[in-house]
Amino acid sequence: MSTTTSPAATDAMRSRRHRRHGNRFLAAVPYLAPAALLYGFFLVYPMLDSVRLSFFEWSGFRTEEPTFVGTDNYVRLFTADPVFWAAFRNSIIWVVLSLLVPMTLSLLLALALNRRMVGRNLFRSVFYIPAVFASITVAAMWRWIYNPTLGTVNQVLEAVGLESWSRQWLGDPDIALYSVFVAAIWQGVGFNMVLFLAGLQQVPVELVEAAKLDGARGPQIFRHVTMPALRPTFVVVLILTIISSLKVFDLVVGMTGGGPAQSTQVLALWSYTQSFSNHNFGQGGAVATVLLVISLCLVVPYLTWALKGEDR
Amino acid sequence: MRFTRQSAVAAAAAAALVALAGCSGSGSGDGGTTDGEGGESVDLKVWMPTQEDAQTEAIATVIADFEAANPGITITLEERSVDAHKEALRQVVGTDAGPDVYWYWEGPGLGGELVDVGMSLDLTDYYAQYGWEDRFTEAGLAGITQYGGFHGIPWTMQGEAIYYNKALFEQAGITEPPASYEDLVAAADALVAAGTTPIQFGGTVNWHVMRLLDALIETTCGSDTADALNTTQTGWDTEECVTEAFTELKTWGEKYINEGFMGISNDDSSQLFYTGDAAMAFEGTWFDSNAVENGMDPENVGIFTFPTDTGRLYGFGEGFYINAESAHPDEAAMFLDSATSTATQEKVVGVWVAMSVNNEVAPKTDNPLHELWVPVFSGATGLYINNDQNLALDQTTEYWRIQNSVLTGDIAPQDAGAAFQAFIDAS
Repeated sequence: MSTTTSPAATDAMRSRRHRRHGNRFLAAVPYLAPAALLYGFFLVYPMLDSVRLSFFEWSGFRTEEPTFVGTDNYVRLFTADPVFWAAFRNSIIWVVLSLLVPMTLSLLLALALNRRMVGRNLFRSVFYIPAVFASITVAAMWRWIYNPTLGTVNQVLEAVGLESWSRQWLGDPDIALYSVFVAAIWQGVGFNMVLFLAGLQQVPVELVEAAKLDGARGPQIFRHVTMPALRPTFVVVLILTIISSLKVFDLVVGMTGGGPAQSTQVLALWSYTQSFSNHNFGQGGAVATVLLVISLCLVVPYLTWALKGEDR
Repeated sequence: MRFTRQSAVAAAAAAALVALAGCSGSGSGDGGTTDGEGGESVDLKVWMPTQEDAQTEAIATVIADFEAANPGITITLEERSVDAHKEALRQVVGTDAGPDVYWYWEGPGLGGELVDVGMSLDLTDYYAQYGWEDRFTEAGLAGITQYGGFHGIPWTMQGEAIYYNKALFEQAGITEPPASYEDLVAAADALVAAGTTPIQFGGTVNWHVMRLLDALIETTCGSDTADALNTTQTGWDTEECVTEAFTELKTWGEKYINEGFMGISNDDSSQLFYTGDAAMAFEGTWFDSNAVENGMDPENVGIFTFPTDTGRLYGFGEGFYINAESAHPDEAAMFLDSATSTATQEKVVGVWVAMSVNNEVAPKTDNPLHELWVPVFSGATGLYINNDQNLALDQTTEYWRIQNSVLTGDIAPQDAGAAFQAFIDAS
């Protein structure tokens, strides 16, 4: 059986639908307005103001008027700032490493702890607990672990006869960033593990059973059944990891302050340093804007994807 | 108002520190109490960095004494960490959200910056009213008058020098404290030969190692050129002595400073001095109590100035300032008068530094190390200030980056001056 609808009827239906949507939107406005206003004032306005500031030179003092300098702050940032490119490079390294190491470890832990085993919940808790700690606490702890004379790492290496491997873990500019990153892995793995564990609950058991009956082995089941079912979780973890990597700040502040010699500097911390330590709010705003653009490039596709999912 | 950094440093340097060593002035103007009757009650806000326990007790005494003598006035003390204190002050400049009285470092890059943007009230009238010019040492006043007029009142005068472990020096065959830079290097070599770490620093707080670089610049460049460099009046890329200073810095980093110093803080590195694992510490007057409280026998500790051969002492002043936006400047001045009066200073002398800025107050002698500072101050012909107080904030950040890059080998000593000058030129 087939039905046909005339163009006029179609237009009328569309019109009715638009009117219905329009009425629903108007009805929703009073409920949305307070949240939208707060969001605009506390989130959108500071972001836009930071972008605006990037075109001014301002010391941050209320008694001094900002001076419009056009794109000078960006020119200086890209051509004369001795730290910006190091911070940029470190931020990119941090994002890439975060996508490779902690994500892989989280997935492996989630797979391991998704099986029936004695003490499963205990292990899950143990791996998750670091995620609960404040970053500055984690930083203080790892600073002691890395202490060149009294720290656990060098002492253990010495105890097992590997004293030649001892390093100034936070004092050597060639390895300091990676030393801080190890602390970030320790802190961050548990959170992603929980997300993957939640995702694994969505893998249909009957599909796994069916695959087994068809003779599929572990790796084949993982590749052809588990992975496709985990795809939404992967996207969430991926995006959250990228965003949190770009925002990394407190762990670096607490462990190295960006040193030695700015070798662990990252964009978020450099923006803060320029604004609040150096009192170059224009320069700080320019760094923040660069960070914002990078973040938007990554977040917008995620939001688009997420909203499409809602519509579906 | 814009002050000249070079003249500011020159003024401070010209101050005779002899006065601080105990020479008495004709002091007057003590007291300054109010009856507080019949007037409205006034609440004064005072901002200071977070204080050590003994200092917390002492400032509480200062406040309690003032409030007892002035019933209509109460003091609310707000303390923050050092960096938070700096940020909070900068954020309230020009607003009515700031304190009535604030504590700050006197150097051009810090206290001078707030004078420059109009936060500090010129206290010339109060100096005349209370006779403060006679109360304070000449050296103490140098940091107050360096910007023209009278900005703030002196609170402490901090000197920085080398603390050394006498027993470790003896073990290394060093019989006299080094009198020249060559002697100091020879002493460091002797300590290395004896298996002792010559000097301790913590590199994660950049200003700790900066003391060594500042002293090396003073040593290799001499006082006039050093002042011109530190106030960016001459090019860092044109003075040969800059390369020499950075070369020496690198040598110290490679041979004489504790291993792994770039990865630890000053608090951590100080433990090496307390425990006898390092023979020297480049510290200031505040370190007297630290050394004793951490178990060192004061008889085993000596002090000598970094032998720059210029005669100047390394150090800085700290003061209390009245906010130009304060609604109660008269009451604030009364508080400052009370806090620096002879009666109050006699109660708290030795808590912040061994010697009060008040002429009439005798140096504290309860800690034997305090007495060692008297000849150090009296023997100095002037003062050279820590560069994080001389340079602008962004310049300080870059100065530290270059200093650390030289130490880590990322910048060659001969390129350091040019790198810093390029930054100054681009600013």
